[in-house]
Amino acid sequence: MAKLLVVDDEANIRLLYAQELSDEGYQVVTAASALEAVEKLQSDSFDLAVLDIKLKNESGIELLQRIVKERHTLPVILCTAFSCYKDDFSAWLADGYVVKSSDMQELKDEIARVLAKKQKAATN
Amino acid sequence: MKNTLDITKQTAIILPFRPVQISRFRGGSLDWECCWSKDEIAPESCPYVGEGEEDLYTSHRRRVVEKCVECPRFKNDLARMKGSGYPLSDVLPFILTEFQEQKSQMGAMLSFLNSKTREIKFLREVGLVLQTSMDLDEVLSIAMTAITAGKGFGMNRAFLLMTDKERRNIRGYLGVGPKDYEEAWRTWEDIGRSNFSLKELARDFQKTKLSSEKVKFHDILNQLTVPLADQGHIFNRALHGKKPILVENALNNPDLDRGLARILGVDCFLVMPLISRNRRIGVIIADNCITHKPITLQDMQSLETFAFPVAFALERASLYERLQEEVAKQKGANQKLREQQELIVKMEKMALVGKITSSIAHSIRNPLMVIGGFARTLLKGSPETDEKRSYLESIVRETRQLEDVLSEVLDYSESLFPVMDFWDLNELIATSLADLEGVMEQAGVVCRQELSPELPMVRIDYKQISYCLKTITATALAAMARGGELRVESMHDGDGVMLRISDNGKSLTKKAQEALTAPFFQTQEMGEGVGLSLCKTILERQGNSLSIISRPGGGNTYSIRLMTRKENI
Repeated sequence: MAKLLVVDDEANIRLLYAQELSDEGYQVVTAASALEAVEKLQSDSFDLAVLDIKLKNESGIELLQRIVKERHTLPVILCTAFSCYKDDFSAWLADGYVVKSSDMQELKDEIARVLAKKQKAATN
Repeated sequence: MKNTLDITKQTAIILPFRPVQISRFRGGSLDWECCWSKDEIAPESCPYVGEGEEDLYTSHRRRVVEKCVECPRFKNDLARMKGSGYPLSDVLPFILTEFQEQKSQMGAMLSFLNSKTREIKFLREVGLVLQTSMDLDEVLSIAMTAITAGKGFGMNRAFLLMTDKERRNIRGYLGVGPKDYEEAWRTWEDIGRSNFSLKELARDFQKTKLSSEKVKFHDILNQLTVPLADQGHIFNRALHGKKPILVENALNNPDLDRGLARILGVDCFLVMPLISRNRRIGVIIADNCITHKPITLQDMQSLETFAFPVAFALERASLYERLQEEVAKQKGANQKLREQQELIVKMEKMALVGKITSSIAHSIRNPLMVIGGFARTLLKGSPETDEKRSYLESIVRETRQLEDVLSEVLDYSESLFPVMDFWDLNELIATSLADLEGVMEQAGVVCRQELSPELPMVRIDYKQISYCLKTITATALAAMARGGELRVESMHDGDGVMLRISDNGKSLTKKAQEALTAPFFQTQEMGEGVGLSLCKTILERQGNSLSIISRPGGGNTYSIRLMTRKENI
């Protein structure tokens, strides 16, 4: 079972992610801030992280950069309300980019794609 | 004149002097044929006194001076006098001959004076108009009409050549006159009937003929271009010498420019330099191509006098025209500057609107995601028979619609700030269509790409044009049935590049086309499909264009013209 870390400052969204992604068979751990996310990353190991870009008083992009720097094997998907970051070079470090939607199918597809890619890379 | 006498022959008779008393000749001792001896004569007794000269019947002196001296009867009387030995009969013929010569010279001088007076009057009239006119076409019309009209210098045809300082040559500018005898006859008959003054003729010419005359002699004018450096050419010789050159018998004279004569089709023509304050304005060529009337020195001198005001007026009108162009350019630049300033203000406002829109959209998207997301979760867990299931479905549907509107609003606010750069259109097409492969497969539509190789880079906002391509493709797919074919082409289009998307689906009606591409914020309501109108707005903001052609039998073609250079947006 793949273990996912979901970082979003909105409690309801974290709850929705946890519900929907658990239904898909993932083990979901949530974090409400970048600080909490870093702590959980240090104490636990994950297969993939889903980050919001706009966190309260923090930037998901900075968190992304830190993850890439410290744990370069952990794939990251950015999930945000802003589509404009998709073409922002700072977001290119991420393995995937999804615009937030009530229909979470796109996010689920993206998670599956990135994990499959990671799996393939590991077997090679 | 009918009663003019050739007295030179008479003067050859030298009569011997014989002293005879005057009284014998004055009175009736001899019966004179002419009335010279009578103080007064009866009306109609002298056939040379014409109508309006009746006072000569009683004016003895004037009758003798004006009529008798040229009368054949008087000559006969002189001969008879000589035979009768009148003492002055030998010298009288000398006096008479001298008198007639003087009279003839006076007549010629008077005629010359009259002609010069007419010419000065004509030049003054034309000169006044030329002095006051700032309009190049008006100056041309007056000058060329004056040269070619019977009431002016009466030449059959004239060509104006102007010096082009930038190209460093003399170039044919305008030809005026008939092309052949029939046209000449028709034109001259019309002018004769119209009884126009020269000024009226010029005005009529400018109004009705100038445009057509400018192209009429195109073939000849094109051959008259001569470099200013060609010092030996007759045009440059006339300009350097500041004197007109009259060319006669050009076709048979090896010393002259036979090439020019062949182009003009005449062997006699006049080359008149136009010089204003030492500046070489151009050259006028005048000829009598129809009547072949010789060009006299007097014609040449008259035209030379006329050339000065023409050159001056042409120079002034040309300068004025250039000034007007510069003023127009300046006005255009000012207008553009004003527009740019307004645009900056508008952009600032739009930037603010964009920020607010984006912020609101972001604030709304999160709760929408929660509402819609949980509704979906609940829907998944509810049994098919649950009555409340329809409520959940409504929440999911409405949330989805609100999210679509939000995306459009965000797309629009992003479209306000294009990031322009040079991109490979074919790469953009391939990448964008690859994203839509799944959708096309689902719709059962085949996509054929016909991309022209070696296209120049297009200056676009990559993301926005990709959005436009995807939106148009999605619109086209919506009009197509399964098994349809979508064609995406790229090709050169003048100095730009054309991107064309064609479907073989249902034709859009004119109304539907208009509604689809109506300005985004004027007629479309949110949530009713702002896609194409947003595309149009995006493309126009980037200086590009979108057009839709629907074929009556089915199928629509969407054409986007993209720029390859940095233009004003």
